[in-house]
Amino acid sequence: MSKSLGKNPTVLLDKIRKSLDKLNEKMEVFIELQKQERKQDFVMQDLPEALDVMTLLSLPDHLRKTAVTICKLGRATAEEVAEQTKRARAVESGYLNQLVLMGYLKKERKGRKAYFFVEK
Amino acid sequence: MGKIIAVHSYKGGTGKTLFSVNLAAAYARQDKKVCVLDMDFRAPSLHSIYGLDGSEYWLNDYLNGACEINKVLIDYTSQCKCDGTMFIGLANPTTEALRDMSSKDRKWEMRALGRLLSLKHALLNDMELDYLLFDTSPGLQYSSINAIVSADLVLVVSTMDASDIQGTKRMTHELYDLFEKKTGILMNKVPIEFLATPVERESVYKRFENTHTLPVLKVIPCYCDVLRAGGTKIFTRDEPKHPFSKHVEEIATKIERI
Repeated sequence: MSKSLGKNPTVLLDKIRKSLDKLNEKMEVFIELQKQERKQDFVMQDLPEALDVMTLLSLPDHLRKTAVTICKLGRATAEEVAEQTKRARAVESGYLNQLVLMGYLKKERKGRKAYFFVEK
Repeated sequence: MGKIIAVHSYKGGTGKTLFSVNLAAAYARQDKKVCVLDMDFRAPSLHSIYGLDGSEYWLNDYLNGACEINKVLIDYTSQCKCDGTMFIGLANPTTEALRDMSSKDRKWEMRALGRLLSLKHALLNDMELDYLLFDTSPGLQYSSINAIVSADLVLVVSTMDASDIQGTKRMTHELYDLFEKKTGILMNKVPIEFLATPVERESVYKRFENTHTLPVLKVIPCYCDVLRAGGTKIFTRDEPKHPFSKHVEEIATKIERI
């Protein structure tokens, strides 16, 4: 097994894991978007960018919880948000990415971690 | 860690400021470290109640990002006739400031929310306050909702006015529930004859709890003394033995247990 992976199999496996993580995150966003398209909850082009309290009130419950948590934490990973909301990391990752696509949150990668925040 | 309490109501004139200042004084008398902030930027009143001219900076300046919160807070401990510590944060009552605050855009409100949320760290952690009270403006307004989102507990003051009760019910479902806030109701100015006997008192509590589907922390009779004082007296500080002060002390104890 290690022969076929070359001299440093751990490096290669790490690369594969990173790629899978990215792929997983994109899939979560894709699934969420499909769900929302079906519900026809949002008209993307009409949405404002400010995540003020009136916008928070207008969000569906599942996204409001995530958005309020980011407002409280300031800048956080999906895992940190999940700790607060007591929901699964993958679920929060999907919601956070959806909020990014809606223009309410910004996302920044640092190494393997993705940080979400409200641009002020 | 301390608690942040937003005192809110659907309509004006229910007694939000009355309870904010009296609760703050009740906690200060219990040797607690407390701070009350005037979040009613449309009709500020704490400067008048406490007889203060203002500080170098107002709460408006803090929300504008022009200063840190310690520049706004006024140490009121020497005047609170208490064993604890008390700070006051005033809203700017000038017409110019009222006009300025009513013309803020949504981005500003978003930043103001961030500034309010950061008070938890600055005042409860760093200054080790036991209680931070937000005296808000009535109804669904930016400043009030910002305060509610930043609070751990919302005290909703309602009177027996039918439109007040209906509005409070609506806010419960369309505001407090949506932000998953712990909420308690204070029924104020209830005619004393409704509370004449223990049986009648219990029936009034049950009626209000069924109406609001929220815990009713206290049903407070309408006291002519309180009306007569016209906001010039803080009862829990100036007349701690008055029945109104006793009610406020009981509310303070109930909040501690939440």
